[in-house]
Amino acid sequence: MQLTSFYFKSNVRRKLIDPLLQRNMKRFGGRFVEARAAVMTEVDNLETIRVAAAAIRDRSLANLDSYLVAFEEQALARGSQVHWAETAQDVNRILIEIAQSNGVKKIVKSKSMVSEESGLNDAVEAVGIQAIETDLGEYILQLAHEPPSHIIAPAIHKSLEEVAALFSENHHTPRQTDIPALCREAREQLRPHFLSAEMGISGGNFLIAETGSVVIVTNEGNGRMVTTLPRIHVTITGIEKVLPTLNDFSTIVRLLTRSATGQSITNYVSMLTGPRQEGDLDGPGQSHIILVDSGRSRLLGTEMQEALRCIRCGACMNHCPVYQNIGGHAYGWVYPGPIGAVLTPSYVGLKNALDLPQASTLCGACQVVCPVKIPLPELMRVLREKSFEQGLRPWHERLFIRLWRGVANRPRLYALMTQVGVRVLSLLGGKKKLLHHLPGLDGWTDGRDMPAPQGKTFRELYRKRRS
Amino acid sequence: MSARDNILARVRRGLGLPGDIAGFERPAVQEYIRKNPRGPRPTYHWSDHVARFQERSEKLGTSVDRVASLPEVPEAVARYLKEKALPQKGVVWHGLHALEWERAGLMLAARGAHADDLVGVTGAFCAIAETGTLMLLSGADSPAAVSLLPETHIAILDVQRIVSGMEEALALMKSEREALPRAVNFVSGPSRTADIEQTIVIGAHGPYRVHVVLYGSVYVQ
Amino acid sequence: MRVGLFVTCLVDMMRPRIGFAALKLLENAGCEVVVPPNQTCCGQPGFNSGDRESGRVMARRFLADFESFDYVVAPSGSCTGMIRCHYGELFPDDTVLQHRLDALSQRTFELTDFLVTVLKVERLDSFFQGTITYHDSCSGLRELNVKHQPRQLMGQVVGAQLREMNKPELCCGFGGTFSIKLGEIATRMADNKCQDALATKADAIVGGDLGCLLNIEGRLRRLGDDTTQVLHVAEVLAGPELGQG
Repeated sequence: MQLTSFYFKSNVRRKLIDPLLQRNMKRFGGRFVEARAAVMTEVDNLETIRVAAAAIRDRSLANLDSYLVAFEEQALARGSQVHWAETAQDVNRILIEIAQSNGVKKIVKSKSMVSEESGLNDAVEAVGIQAIETDLGEYILQLAHEPPSHIIAPAIHKSLEEVAALFSENHHTPRQTDIPALCREAREQLRPHFLSAEMGISGGNFLIAETGSVVIVTNEGNGRMVTTLPRIHVTITGIEKVLPTLNDFSTIVRLLTRSATGQSITNYVSMLTGPRQEGDLDGPGQSHIILVDSGRSRLLGTEMQEALRCIRCGACMNHCPVYQNIGGHAYGWVYPGPIGAVLTPSYVGLKNALDLPQASTLCGACQVVCPVKIPLPELMRVLREKSFEQGLRPWHERLFIRLWRGVANRPRLYALMTQVGVRVLSLLGGKKKLLHHLPGLDGWTDGRDMPAPQGKTFRELYRKRRS
Repeated sequence: MSARDNILARVRRGLGLPGDIAGFERPAVQEYIRKNPRGPRPTYHWSDHVARFQERSEKLGTSVDRVASLPEVPEAVARYLKEKALPQKGVVWHGLHALEWERAGLMLAARGAHADDLVGVTGAFCAIAETGTLMLLSGADSPAAVSLLPETHIAILDVQRIVSGMEEALALMKSEREALPRAVNFVSGPSRTADIEQTIVIGAHGPYRVHVVLYGSVYVQ
Repeated sequence: MRVGLFVTCLVDMMRPRIGFAALKLLENAGCEVVVPPNQTCCGQPGFNSGDRESGRVMARRFLADFESFDYVVAPSGSCTGMIRCHYGELFPDDTVLQHRLDALSQRTFELTDFLVTVLKVERLDSFFQGTITYHDSCSGLRELNVKHQPRQLMGQVVGAQLREMNKPELCCGFGGTFSIKLGEIATRMADNKCQDALATKADAIVGGDLGCLLNIEGRLRRLGDDTTQVLHVAEVLAGPELGQG
């Protein structure tokens, strides 16, 4: 996927004044939050399960090599073919090789964020293979030629009217006016593709080391279609997605679906182990699993390792006040919101996504809802430290911070400077005691006044009062 | 060096592990998988699995019917289809083909599902009371697409095979089967989507309706 | 009980009366309050901007200024959160210093938390004429569990009527240097907060962190609202006859 994280600030500016996006985010953005809150009341020991879920993920990561090899061994024993991709480009190359050697002309895809990382659709289309997204949200975006703006609700930024227009234009059908009719239209459009495609691609929510299974957690049924009907199924997923056992999955899925869509469980949880077996009447004849590194292993053993716990529920972005106002596209890559602010710089390089770790008030709402207790604010702070240390932040910002540090550590100098400063600002504030413009602080005063100081510092007044 | 070796080497380097230990030989990992511990879960406030299963199923949009014994199932299925004005024909799992469908006026073929099948009748390996979930295992007699392609999915379930949680369902499978089937599908209600305006619509790519017919009685000591 | 009052840099510079309100509240509750004259800033602006050294320098200073007290109290959840939740991770290689900081952190409290949890204040003898809507500042709420304390205390203020806004726990967009670096988002977030607060038609928007209050007031005034008061919870609790110095 094309990376525009470097342009975060101008992306933000555009998104904040995009009336359609603003309206859609306001109308729909809160629904996941409400649904999650409602369904979590079923879990009377949420914190206990969160701790257990985090421990499961930590266990997987601490022995990642071992669990991956265990997974591979089991998967191979069941007839799956396991491929290892070091980079995003490798993902596309491996996939194209599998497709071309099997004469694949058409691919149906269920949602795979990893395939967004590598821009898989463009790559296969470049060699003349059709790739069709079948998750409703992803399908809408494929028609609109847009990337997803949310990891589980990719078209959350689109309204009914926009979807209706897209469908009518692309399907040459009368314009629908309600959501169920649009869903039926998509179903009717996509059903023939499920039946005719030679290859199905899915992501993998988890890989189970115990059994060599790929687990996918879905609602629409397209995930089941693409893993059942075409003669080849390819799973594309990150190496960090391995879990030791099916019991571990059972623990984690209780939090995953509740955190994601606010469901006690999704409609479908499918554990897929190998290709069609002897006597089976359906299922793919070939099962391929592409294990993708693409930057993940770099995080191991660093302060950022905890980010690899992520189970992609999207709760952090749903609850993020920054995301709620700017939407997912502004973040400029596959993963938006707080987890994106942490993963994107880690995967694509800090200097290419410099503003993302800054794109948070560190309010902590994300950390509170994360089902695997990723300390997202702390990780953003770590990335800010790296930016600062590597001199990647603007010089005036670094200068200001160093100056403040120096002054605040010299109480007399601090007293002098603050006494002068507040007097000046107080005078500038005038009768209304408001500063409408402050040179160097345009970031503030462009949209807000700065209430002026009272005029003397507390320390002066206190000293006077004591004497 | 292959991509596999490179990735594993990077992982080991990151984790500060020696590079030459073959992963799966690490005893802690083998030991953990062998022990296969179960994690914590919410308090189960119910005692009656059947009632809980029914309540949760209905919450998901699955309708539930109950008959005394297996031979009564075809009539119950026919009744449901008639009530909903649905076609009286479709596809059925082999294992259930011996039931007297025709006598109930139903034309069910025992085969894999076709794209134009409108009704699919399956059994279920077991069901989960906690979430109102059916557990379906694929196999020669139980093709996966029968619960997927038709607009209506009807599942026949022995009430004695409702277990409390996913862990128990998986344990039951491990105790009765040598290996996992190609596909274990946990089905919780009709397919749905909320991808347009976060509005839930029942019936996305999979069935519009899921109907469960429970039969038998729970043995009480 | 000897209490060191950490007024915080923002209060020191922008709103000394909040510091005096805190002083009065603590003294009325029977504390012997001392304001160490050399105190400045907790180091959070730099720390959150990626300069760990800011945190370390100011943690050392804080220790020098406040270690001798039974308790330290600050009229800010944000600065208290910095001290309680982050000072402890600044010196991984110096266990002695770390231990001293941890001990001090545990004696450091946000003002309303201290009044309710430690002093168990049940009577305030103050009044406020009007309706109040309370904004839960993020650090106090999520790092220190400050939620019921300010409400419990405001319940003791004669005449003060609390009217909860929609989403009182939603961040106002201040976020320290965030409010300048990503001012446009901060402004939009402040705007949302103002809308939620104004919808209650309360006479005053009250909070426990001056940063948030400046952000909210700054947006309110820019929107042309000159009447809605924006007050620190200490000002409300201490009552109107507060010494202004």
